[in-house]
Amino acid sequence: MKKRHKISNSNWKAIPKTRHTTPETILKTLLLIVVITFQFQSCDSFVDVELPQSQLISTTVFEDYATANAAMTDIYATIPNKGIYTGALGLGISNQLGNYADEITSTQNPNNPSLNFYNNSLLPSNTTVTGFWNITYNQIYAVNAVIEGVATSQNLTMEQKEQLTGEALFIRALLHFHLVNIFGDVPYITQTDYKKNSTVSRTPIGEIYQNCIVDLQNAIAVLPDPAPTSDMERVRPNKAVAQALLARVYLYNKSYPQAANMASAVLNREALYALEQNMTKVFLIGSKETIWQLQSGSAGLNTTEGAFFTFISGPPPLISLSENLVNSFTGNDLRKSNWIRAIYNGTTTWYHAYKYKESKSTSVSKEYTIVFRLAEQYLIRAEARAEQGDFIGAREDLNKIRHRAGLSDTTASSQQEILNAILEERRWELFTERGQRFFDLKRSGKLDSTLTGLKPGWNTTDSLFPIPQTELNTNPNLLPQNPGY
Amino acid sequence: MNNFSFYKGSKALYYLIFFGCFLSFTPVLAKSALRQLQSNPQQNVVSGIITDGTNPLPGVTIAIKSKANSGTISDYNGQYGIIANELDTLVVSFIGFKTALIPIKGRQTISIVLEYDTMVLQEVRVNAGYYTVKESERTGSISRITSKDIETQPVTNVLATLQGRMAGVSVTQTTGVPGGGFDIKIRGQNSIRSDTNAPLYIIDGVPYASDAIGASRTATTFPTPTSPLNSINPDMIESIEILKDADATAIYGSRGANGVVLITTKKGKAGKTTFTVTASTGAGNVPRFLKLMDTGQYLAMRKQAFINDGLSQYGPLDYDINGTWDQNRYTDWQKELLGGTAQLTDFQGTISGGSETTQFLVSASYHTETTVFPGEFLYKKGGSQINLNHRSEDKKFRITFSVGYTSQNNQLPSYDPSYEARSLPPNAPALYDANGNLNWENSTWINPLGKLGSKFETKTNDLIANSVLSYELLPGLLLKSSLGYTDLSTHETRIIPSTTGDPALGNDSSISALFLNNTDRSSWIVEPQINWKKELGLGKMEILFGATFQNQITKRIEQSGSGFSSNSLIYNLAAAKTIRVVRDEEIQYKYQAFFGRLNYNWQQRYIVNLTARHDGSSRFGPGNQFANFGAIGLAWLFSNENFLKSNSWFSFGKLRGSYGTTGSDQIGDYQFLNTYTTSGVVYNGVIGLKPSRLYNANFGWETNKKLEMALELGFLKDRIFTTVAWYQNQSSNQLAGVPLPGTTGFTLLQSNLDATVQNTGIELSVGTTNFKSDAFNWTTSINLTFAKNKLLRFPGLESSPYSQQYRIGEPLNIVLLYKYKGVNPQTGIYEFEDVNNDSRISAPEDKQTLVDLNPQYYGGIQNQLSYKRWTLDFLFQFVKQKSHNYPMDPAGMMSNEQERKINSWQQPGDSGTYQIYTTGYNSDAITGESFYAQSDADIADASFIRLKNIALSYDVPLNLKQSQCKIMLQGQNLLTFTRYKDGDPEYTSGSFLAPLKVISAGVQLTF
Repeated sequence: MKKRHKISNSNWKAIPKTRHTTPETILKTLLLIVVITFQFQSCDSFVDVELPQSQLISTTVFEDYATANAAMTDIYATIPNKGIYTGALGLGISNQLGNYADEITSTQNPNNPSLNFYNNSLLPSNTTVTGFWNITYNQIYAVNAVIEGVATSQNLTMEQKEQLTGEALFIRALLHFHLVNIFGDVPYITQTDYKKNSTVSRTPIGEIYQNCIVDLQNAIAVLPDPAPTSDMERVRPNKAVAQALLARVYLYNKSYPQAANMASAVLNREALYALEQNMTKVFLIGSKETIWQLQSGSAGLNTTEGAFFTFISGPPPLISLSENLVNSFTGNDLRKSNWIRAIYNGTTTWYHAYKYKESKSTSVSKEYTIVFRLAEQYLIRAEARAEQGDFIGAREDLNKIRHRAGLSDTTASSQQEILNAILEERRWELFTERGQRFFDLKRSGKLDSTLTGLKPGWNTTDSLFPIPQTELNTNPNLLPQNPGY
Repeated sequence: MNNFSFYKGSKALYYLIFFGCFLSFTPVLAKSALRQLQSNPQQNVVSGIITDGTNPLPGVTIAIKSKANSGTISDYNGQYGIIANELDTLVVSFIGFKTALIPIKGRQTISIVLEYDTMVLQEVRVNAGYYTVKESERTGSISRITSKDIETQPVTNVLATLQGRMAGVSVTQTTGVPGGGFDIKIRGQNSIRSDTNAPLYIIDGVPYASDAIGASRTATTFPTPTSPLNSINPDMIESIEILKDADATAIYGSRGANGVVLITTKKGKAGKTTFTVTASTGAGNVPRFLKLMDTGQYLAMRKQAFINDGLSQYGPLDYDINGTWDQNRYTDWQKELLGGTAQLTDFQGTISGGSETTQFLVSASYHTETTVFPGEFLYKKGGSQINLNHRSEDKKFRITFSVGYTSQNNQLPSYDPSYEARSLPPNAPALYDANGNLNWENSTWINPLGKLGSKFETKTNDLIANSVLSYELLPGLLLKSSLGYTDLSTHETRIIPSTTGDPALGNDSSISALFLNNTDRSSWIVEPQINWKKELGLGKMEILFGATFQNQITKRIEQSGSGFSSNSLIYNLAAAKTIRVVRDEEIQYKYQAFFGRLNYNWQQRYIVNLTARHDGSSRFGPGNQFANFGAIGLAWLFSNENFLKSNSWFSFGKLRGSYGTTGSDQIGDYQFLNTYTTSGVVYNGVIGLKPSRLYNANFGWETNKKLEMALELGFLKDRIFTTVAWYQNQSSNQLAGVPLPGTTGFTLLQSNLDATVQNTGIELSVGTTNFKSDAFNWTTSINLTFAKNKLLRFPGLESSPYSQQYRIGEPLNIVLLYKYKGVNPQTGIYEFEDVNNDSRISAPEDKQTLVDLNPQYYGGIQNQLSYKRWTLDFLFQFVKQKSHNYPMDPAGMMSNEQERKINSWQQPGDSGTYQIYTTGYNSDAITGESFYAQSDADIADASFIRLKNIALSYDVPLNLKQSQCKIMLQGQNLLTFTRYKDGDPEYTSGSFLAPLKVISAGVQLTF
């Protein structure tokens, strides 16, 4: 009671005024309550936001060819910059498998990302290996999203749908083909549902090849024929590109008649493709030998391989071509004189791959990363023919490559001699091109005999990379780890 | 498609305008009540001096009892003057002193001596965000530090000021580079995702987004992208309150799960206009280096490695040992690259003053700091703060306006050479050649100074403005609205000029590169509130109801350019040959809530505090946007019970408890949409589109249930004051991105994880006044926290992606490790326990030894001593914890090692502590080293006791009455006691610079 008295006493002047404004106050309070209640009712809408300007709802992407096409070309754009095909920083297989086999020598600098590859001491935690896996499956997700998006699209024409689906199937086969050769049994992923994809098991190698073949046959069925000679850039996959890959897949799968036929299908397009006889022009953008190449990011850029492999003074900062490879060339092999460059510092000579001659930007791009070129198709057919006993045909194809390199006809005559000659020829022709040397040694069973002794860290179990540890942790269905890790 | 309309979006704005208009005519009304009654003619001026017995007290309020608006304030010399009736009674009050009632009795000069109020601690009003509460009456858990403790620390980041000072608050610095970040955890890690445990920051009522503003492509010098928190200037802070339990945080609903940090800036004080100028300068060094091998030890290791690997010849690239480099050379690379002295300078000026009704404060500060790296690098930070307070004569209308502006310019190397400093061979070549140019030793090494030529610069401007308008509509009924605006823009550049590399590589500016990141973030917030206070029965009732409307827009553009015609054009993106737009996005975050509080205080004995919030966030998809949160807090002040009231030694006793729910919406924006994003990459003339994420729209709030019990006791007039609190927080419905296998195309999926994380702990704070006299005072405060983090529930953990990261019943911050057995005496390789007996060491089967890396306990002991004009303040921080050793490359390769690795295995039969050296060819040893780094052998005791802060100040006796001059000496991280061998124990971010040891000296003038 006392307290209350005190309050009213100290505020005695205010009270009449408050009384005076009471009706006004009540009105204001009421108004406020109304406003607040109004807000309450419409509160759901306040927290709705506009769609972000930098994103597009997935279903609308495939209702317009421009955006659907952009979803597909983005995959081509990522391939030369990240994942197994990248030349950037030497993180892709052209460098790393070169180190892993006998093409490239690495400095012992512990910061060198190639060192563990060169020493054949990969660990399941290796970030490059984890990147091969994760980035490749991310690219596979993107192609599967294209395939699914195109399939349900209302507005795309049949022609547009076929082209995009064909390209996506081709890329799916290409990526799985590399995964199986690097990791062995891997899941073959054909849809985007993460609930299914997160618990997949490993697909046996034979089945993976079968899936690749089916995807490529389907791609070949819908992809357009290569455009006439006016398309000098050859940066989009077409029927011939899919055939070139299928020829390689058949060869690796030891389906020799099919491999020979598929290579022929490419080789027979003589109006479009021919071996470039000037050795310095084979890897230029306009080369007639190119079947498919990946465009560099923007005008003036050249290849990431050129930037990485080139060094202009010795000693090399990270890697150089192995002496073993350089010394293996015979005679006056034009490939040694044109595709390899020696760097001499007064006492020692080092070598670097010089197929791509531009290590920097130029005013107009001169070189793109070539993924398929005709020389390989001759070598595929040569091998497939030799395996089938067609030694004449085999030698004929092999000699096409040898003549271009300034070498005489092969002296190999027995099947084994021819096959050995082809293996050697592939080494000289295809060095530092996406690990073909490693794959060749592997499929011919010559990894151990070639690398033991030459590579102190080599073990038989090194023929497969470890499955990334993070992957085994998140999907135990992929266990066990590959042997040796 | 567009479900946002101008009308709907601007509704809150319209509300704001309405409310503003409403309040703006209230002062007019208020003024009408201004007519004072001038009835008594016998008025005199009463004057005098107010002291505490020895020193004059400025700023004391003198009022006349029972007369409103009669007050005045003593000046800097303690002088006052007031017109009063000779029969009036003066009411003399001042914070920290007992209020004195002095009848005038006809006197004209009255000297007043105020008595210190020992109960002051309990009278302080603590900021609880939407309301303030008297310390003695609070029901929630709120920790507080004030400018007194902040000003003694030579630091630039607000979080640094909290280290070691609060129970339950763990702060670690992630890098010693100026402008770097801090990591804060309030009562442990609640979310399984480690990057979503940030508390909510509120500056003067305005939420301040702490999400990174930098980009990882540009801010390569920092372990994490640039944090905006550096924009907050510690000099401007009056107090920081940390809300910890449900009672305090539930009113912040969905954003309170990880605690709330309330920052209150300094406000103007009535009285004579005072000028304060502070200047200080200081020096910082790396406090501890690793003990590494010298040249002799290193070369012996290398030679042995070649012998071990059976290599008879040194390779052409083994420059350190094949004769290319001078083998008698020795460089301490840590000293060379990290051994510099960072120079700090600080200027600050404040003007403050005002009348009873209007007060102002204007302040400006400037800070510079260099680095310990070789080269010219400089961090500059300037800021200003303006505060205006006004109230109407009748005290009904009040307005507070504060605006703070900070500008930072940070020029750093774009990379931290800490890794090189530890790994370069000790006989690596000289940095400079005879001509003073960078030495590349015929291309045999990468000169680390070359890399320092790549630069990182960040410029950040930050504006925070807020205004609180209030009007007392009826006695006890207050209408209030808080309006806030923030605007932050940051511009980051990183350059890699071609000149950073070896010139022999022949690189020219065509490979030079530039990375740019611009982030602009602006937000507005409107929070109208109604407060009602009423005496009800024998108690007091307080009711609060309010609403929040918040909109935040973040615009971000990240670009890169490469290939410049000249390196002098490298900052000009237009001069780049190749330009890439990496990211161009605009993110909108909208947030709405209604909140309320009901507090009933019965006779200052029993207190009930109910809080609730209804919350909506745009971060969730339709149907998941809204949720409710609430809490109950109870307190019993048993010292106010009759049976204890007259106890002579027992002065205060309170038992309090609270229970309630809070949430977290830290998942990022737009995650519920199924979209494609522009990748910015061109192929065949088409700009690519990539899938943004795996689609999952069905996720909602993370819920955090908090329970707390606490006992607060004061003895001997609170000269000993203790608080013991026990808490248990359970976080469920975890908003963790679920890691997925790469075969899904992504490695993460946004979803609620059905797991529960529990944090429990006991927090103890003790404050004692050890000695008190006119000349000498000594106080001590101690805080100690025992915390335990536990994963309580995780259905299906075994088959989940987290199976090898977490264990049920164990903390989140565990590591699963191999069990180390020793070095095999025959092979010289590290050996580990083969848990599943399959004769090989593999993960996860054999990697099951569990180590908890959370601190077991931590705390601080602070002492403040003052003797006459001297004040000494020092804080010891202590942490009991384990940590990894610093990771090194396998011993024997071309990389330096810790000195302790000289004790290695050399031949069969040896029992070395460390395994056989290898040049890199021995893949068993490489694997062994890798396992070792993932084994329990790599875990070391990283406990430490550290003299975190020491500050000595002396108040120079001046004969000038108006002025005060203070000389200060301050130190940070001066001493560290630890058994940890690999550098700084506090710090865990791998190859980044550790926090510096800083000493600074300064002068403060007040006049």
